[in-house]
Amino acid sequence: MLDLLAQTGLNAVYAASYISLVAVGLVLIFGVMGVINFAHGELFMAGAYAVVALYADLNVPFFAAVAIGLLFVGCLGLLMEKALFRPLKTNPLGGLVASIGFLMILQALAVMGFGVRMEHIPPVTQEVIAFTDKVRLPVARLYVIVAAVVLLSALWYFLKRTRFGWALRASAQDPEAAALQGISIVQTAKIAMFIGAGLAGIAGALTAPLVSVNPHMGHSVIVTAFIVIIVGGVGSLEGAIVASIAYALVHTFVTTFYDGVLADIVGLSLMLVVLIVKPTGLFGSADRA
Amino acid sequence: MISKIVKSGLTRRTFLKSTAVTALSAGLPGASRAAGSTIRIGFLAPLTGAVAAWGKPGLDGCQIWAERVNAAGGIKLGDGSHEIEFVSYDNEYDPAKARTGATKLIREDGVSFIMMLGGDTWPGVQPVADKTGMLFSTLLPSDLSPDTSTLIAPAEVHPIYNVTGVEWLAENKPELKTAVMCAQDDALGLPSVATYLAAFEAAGIEMLDAPLLFDPATTDFAPVVTRLISKDPDIVCLDTCYSDYVHPIAEQLFQQGFKGQIISCTADFYDQMIAKTSEEFMEGFVFQFPDFDDPALNGSNINFTDPNGFYAEYNRRHPGQWGAVSWEYASIMDLWKAAAEKAGSASPDAVAAAMKDGKGKHAFGDADWWGTELFGIDNALVGDWPVVAIEQGKARIKDFRSIPDWYAKHGDLLVKHMQAYDQMWDQRS
Repeated sequence: MLDLLAQTGLNAVYAASYISLVAVGLVLIFGVMGVINFAHGELFMAGAYAVVALYADLNVPFFAAVAIGLLFVGCLGLLMEKALFRPLKTNPLGGLVASIGFLMILQALAVMGFGVRMEHIPPVTQEVIAFTDKVRLPVARLYVIVAAVVLLSALWYFLKRTRFGWALRASAQDPEAAALQGISIVQTAKIAMFIGAGLAGIAGALTAPLVSVNPHMGHSVIVTAFIVIIVGGVGSLEGAIVASIAYALVHTFVTTFYDGVLADIVGLSLMLVVLIVKPTGLFGSADRA
Repeated sequence: MISKIVKSGLTRRTFLKSTAVTALSAGLPGASRAAGSTIRIGFLAPLTGAVAAWGKPGLDGCQIWAERVNAAGGIKLGDGSHEIEFVSYDNEYDPAKARTGATKLIREDGVSFIMMLGGDTWPGVQPVADKTGMLFSTLLPSDLSPDTSTLIAPAEVHPIYNVTGVEWLAENKPELKTAVMCAQDDALGLPSVATYLAAFEAAGIEMLDAPLLFDPATTDFAPVVTRLISKDPDIVCLDTCYSDYVHPIAEQLFQQGFKGQIISCTADFYDQMIAKTSEEFMEGFVFQFPDFDDPALNGSNINFTDPNGFYAEYNRRHPGQWGAVSWEYASIMDLWKAAAEKAGSASPDAVAAAMKDGKGKHAFGDADWWGTELFGIDNALVGDWPVVAIEQGKARIKDFRSIPDWYAKHGDLLVKHMQAYDQMWDQRS
């Protein structure tokens, strides 16, 4: 039983890692831009396909492919900011609808470029850290955990300890007041989109060898991310991380000790309970952060 | 809108003429064909979207089939020889699009027969089948019911053939005593769960746990696998999981240190699974779909024309794309062609009557039209089915086993488990 608990705990840590990378990116974009980016799951998918193209097809070293994937998806974020969100800034629903359209375009491009079938990605490593015979952590999963800890720590440092980070937070709290202080709203929006999209991209890139890469893979990821940010409090980065950990723990343990279908129901119930008890989410406030 | 069309040059006379022709072609599909004209076959399946892997490779296989038949002189009916042409419509696995596609294929394209994947798309098409009398085929016999008289399942009897793999395993590896199973919670997974449960019970293999069902949207299979192997089973059964699930589950079994037997309905692209795990890990993996370069397919019992040549040509055109459906639609066409030539006509009712007259030439041997107990109608062609195992990195047929023989001995178990999962034809809505 101890082995089973430990293995389930390791599975949950991995799940929390990639969910938090995606969710924090989504929250950052919402916080600064005020836009719910429905295409965020497809940015995750784009990161995975970057690895397919570079690592699987062109034999680029895996970590170089991941880095290029991060930059590529970050640039997709910049494109979305300029082409979709900036022109539609005054239209409350415009950005949301545009992101749904962009989602479909990205899916169609993936189908045109790679076909509809699951992509095969050679394993990055088959090394496993075996704590016991039944408690094992594949090193490829460890990469995701390390990346999440490093990147989210770096983001925390950036937001709390740098001038750009302060500007970003100021823009998120009160765009007009920030603008009056000389902060460029356009610049902060670009930074937020690049980081937010890049986090989804790197999550997709790192998990690509571990999941089924296909044009529709973003769907389940975005559903999970939405649950997480609602539980954590829309707009709260800390809330997104805490809720990712809570959701991953609940979902993984329920899947292991009951079944996966019940785990989904429990995950959604968790969101409903939080909404009933605290409609703004665990760390949310009435105003977006 | 109508006035615009009329203004653009459509006269009342041409409108009535075209309507009459359309009505005729809808009412008498294939009957007014001139000698030497091309016979059109409809291919109504998902060609894009999440289920395209069970549609598009089938169309690719049909194109090869048509080229081979046409090169050999076409299909010989009462009024002479005809070439075959496939007309495809992408239903995107959507019932409404499938209905539109069926209507178009019948009314505009004048097809004589329509092949489908079936499943969720069949209910959309059934009213069109009822109205037109068109002959349809499905790969999923769970579409069959007493109300689907023009629907046949002549290629595969999913999931009933899965009993053959378990039966073979029990006879050849009697040391395997316990099993666990996982499946996605959907229309493909659940009847397969019931079938495997019946097969394990018949074989005296103990289930250590209830089947673990997971949401089809699952992407991380580590928790599923942790649960599966927590009770140290001898066998892990992957049921009829989609290949998008089979691959990551197998990889997780490898990474979490499982060393027992794996059995699965399919192992599409198993070479990729070997690449992600190892040849040793995949050795002995049992499933139900052979590669068609298998020497066992050259036997006299096989009714598929030149399986080795077909496989070679398929791989030349679509390298790395071979899967279960690559040959199944083509094998249906072998049956359809034989029936049409026997009837001397391509009309749906004549072909259906000829096809069901006596034993059917199923790809894996002569078979019977069967299914009343499970489907409410004898429209599934059932006989032998191969058991395949991976040996030194290559899929090889280990045996052909009779599904009707198994059912004669253990049918009550299958019905019991099907009923428990609400999968009998009279329980399905």
